[in-house]
Amino acid sequence: MHLIAQTLVDGLVLGGIYALSAVGFSLIFGVLHVINLSHGILVLIGAYLALIFSQALQVDPLLTLPLVMAVLFAAGYPYQRFLIQRAVNQSGLGSMLLTFGVALMLQNVMIWLFSPDMKSITPGYAFASFRVAGLTFDAVRVSALVASLVLLSCLAMLLKFSALGRVIRATAQQTMAARLCGVNVPHVYALTFAVSAAFAGAAGIVIGIILPFSPADEALWTLNAFVVVVLGGVGSPAGALIGGLLLGIVSTLTAQYIGPAFPNVTMFLLLVIMLLVRPNGLLGNAFAASR
Amino acid sequence: MRRHHLLLVLGCAALLAAGPLALPPFYVRVGQMMLYSAALGVAWTILGGFAGYASFGHAAFIGVGAFAAGLIEVQFATLPPFLALLMGLLTGGAVCAILAAAIAYPILRLRGTFFAIAMLGVSHVCAELNNNVDALQGSLGLNFPPVAPDSVAPEAFFYELYLFAGLAVLLIAWRIRQSRFGAGLLSIREDEDTARMLGVPTERYKRAAFIISAILTGMLGVIYAHSLGYITTDSVYRDDTNLNLVVFSLLGGMGTLFGPVIGAGLLVFITQVILGRLLDFHLFATGLLLVILVLAAPGGALGFIRGWRRRRVQVPAE
Amino acid sequence: MSAAPILQIEHLSKQFRGLQAMSDVSFTIPAVSITSIIGPNGAGKSTLFNLITGYLPPTAGGIRFQGQLIGGLPTNRIAERGIARAFQIARPFRDLSVFENVRIGALFGKAGPRDVSATTDRALRLAAIAHLAARPASALTVGQLRHLEVARAIATRADLLLADEPCAGLNPTETAAMIEVLREVRASGVTVVLVEHDMPSVMEVSDRVLVLDAGRLIADGLPQDVAQDEKVIAAYLGSPEADDA
Repeated sequence: MHLIAQTLVDGLVLGGIYALSAVGFSLIFGVLHVINLSHGILVLIGAYLALIFSQALQVDPLLTLPLVMAVLFAAGYPYQRFLIQRAVNQSGLGSMLLTFGVALMLQNVMIWLFSPDMKSITPGYAFASFRVAGLTFDAVRVSALVASLVLLSCLAMLLKFSALGRVIRATAQQTMAARLCGVNVPHVYALTFAVSAAFAGAAGIVIGIILPFSPADEALWTLNAFVVVVLGGVGSPAGALIGGLLLGIVSTLTAQYIGPAFPNVTMFLLLVIMLLVRPNGLLGNAFAASR
Repeated sequence: MRRHHLLLVLGCAALLAAGPLALPPFYVRVGQMMLYSAALGVAWTILGGFAGYASFGHAAFIGVGAFAAGLIEVQFATLPPFLALLMGLLTGGAVCAILAAAIAYPILRLRGTFFAIAMLGVSHVCAELNNNVDALQGSLGLNFPPVAPDSVAPEAFFYELYLFAGLAVLLIAWRIRQSRFGAGLLSIREDEDTARMLGVPTERYKRAAFIISAILTGMLGVIYAHSLGYITTDSVYRDDTNLNLVVFSLLGGMGTLFGPVIGAGLLVFITQVILGRLLDFHLFATGLLLVILVLAAPGGALGFIRGWRRRRVQVPAE
Repeated sequence: MSAAPILQIEHLSKQFRGLQAMSDVSFTIPAVSITSIIGPNGAGKSTLFNLITGYLPPTAGGIRFQGQLIGGLPTNRIAERGIARAFQIARPFRDLSVFENVRIGALFGKAGPRDVSATTDRALRLAAIAHLAARPASALTVGQLRHLEVARAIATRADLLLADEPCAGLNPTETAAMIEVLREVRASGVTVVLVEHDMPSVMEVSDRVLVLDAGRLIADGLPQDVAQDEKVIAAYLGSPEADDA
């Protein structure tokens, strides 16, 4: 009983991080209908930037969050507007292949800059932990989970209440109508991408403080994001949260009770079952865009 | 491919077959890589190019085929090398057929990018299972007996074997393209719902294309494993293979028969010959090529040439 | 028009969640005729076509084609029996030529491939697009695409052609050409059922007109009779008495 409770708690912590790491991917897919295969590399760039900034400024890695998000926001806008958008105008697979190409290039660049080895970010409280009701909580994991939930809430509020959020939602639902109402659609797309990139970077910091990372991980984080979106549904932080938590719990349960080597297998089985049973995701509409 | 195309292909093949006699070993190895890649590209295009189901995970079949063959060949170590290879090919093909048939139903319900990424998932899952289930010896590795006769250099032997396999795959793909089945696949690529409405048995055709493509890919994987001599999970389930199979068609011309052949030749030439000494640049170069292709020549080399020829023909006429 | 019925619709109903899109509709279509189905927007015309071609399964009732029940069969099986559909918003295979588009119809469709090239040529000629055969489908005008839809549909050797607003948005010359094509199709022995909004075309081409309103069949008869039917006029003008009818 105790073991299963601890496993579930660990799963929830992991799930919160999965949710944050997928929310940008989900937003881009929901609004731009682009599968961003460079998503994983944006997450990793966030992690590496946090590593550099926290060492250079001698601060807690979580405090580098605004800086990292700003850098990725600034890079995401032109990336979408001047590269991805041109591929979108080509064909269905165009944007996917372009983002894949960019992911490969950036992965190579990061191997040059940081070596292919595993890195990790170690905050001051790395080994602190506390116990509540017999369950162990690492300080690092708890702060990662809290950061994830706070950031997800921020994004949800941004989308729901801000003027930018309203324009983004309007463009996603009725692109043509939004255009007729004077919305500068390419600008909104680029802004959406920039916001998504910023949140991918934020996810990278949170991932960086609890897990080691290397440039080759980018495919894993992209695939994770894809699964989360399939499970939870496209385009909303709530869908990402549900998908992320589900994936997190399933991963830790698998690792605990089936074997630590099989998280991808269960993840994929879950994906297949989901596609057969509920092809639209638990929330929202995951497949309309692919049909 | 019309009759004069067929003659052209046979002529080229005869010329290529003489390659190992004239070329230094390094270029024979490059040629071997080109032929292997071209054959894989054509096997991929039966599903990805004709039916429009672009798979990002065909390395799954290379790996499954290779390991299935290796595991069965170890059991019959006393067979002469040629028979061992034949048995490996049959086993690898059969296991890939079973795997493809098993996953066809759920995975072919997905379209476009979803199918592509789900296949990437299949490839990762197969690799993971192969690596972690001890009986499959993925992390330990498998040895393959040498199959080349002593009188022939191994690289020349595999060069000719790939040439033969490549021609066989090309012939199969060509026959499919000319057939009613092939026309049905094209209609699925263009508009699946309309195809069904015209009476095309879309589900059966997609499944058949998927299984045929998987079998051919798996058999090529078996040959590849023999040419390596020793494989682990990492040497056959490769993400760069997953990607390159898409790039070959993209580079040469998506949906065409010869597109992947041209694309494979070009890409292998670029990475092995031009960038041969700059191993650190391979990922970057492939990525850059992909970006340039998508932005500048979405029709690939064949599309580019056709567009140019069409313009040239039309301008004087108008 | 006293030939044996080719299509029998028996007490057909279709419900989408709460919405009753089609309730207890029955009619028969005699062979080798042109029948138009008209009605205001939302009357259930498209639903009817979707039910006949197997796009949607019926909630209740039966569809009999040449005497055999086909309701609920998959789309491609229904096409193999000999029903084809031409869409209003043309869905050509864009990367293929006009010839190849039509040839795919001839390769599949009813009873598999027989006389493929002869069937293809015949369909191209019947739909008056033989001169466009070599063009890529993506290069056709809206009017030409409608002809391609018809050609591809009849190339399947279908006995019943369902045409979705073949004249909508066409100019008078194009409309006249399309009406001529539909007559040729009937003359070749194919039964045609149209959904059409363009009343002059309906009056000109139809042997018979069915009127749907809110998922019910409210009139069935010769074009000139239906045009004077009070219920029909009321349905189109939306008068309150019609709701009780």
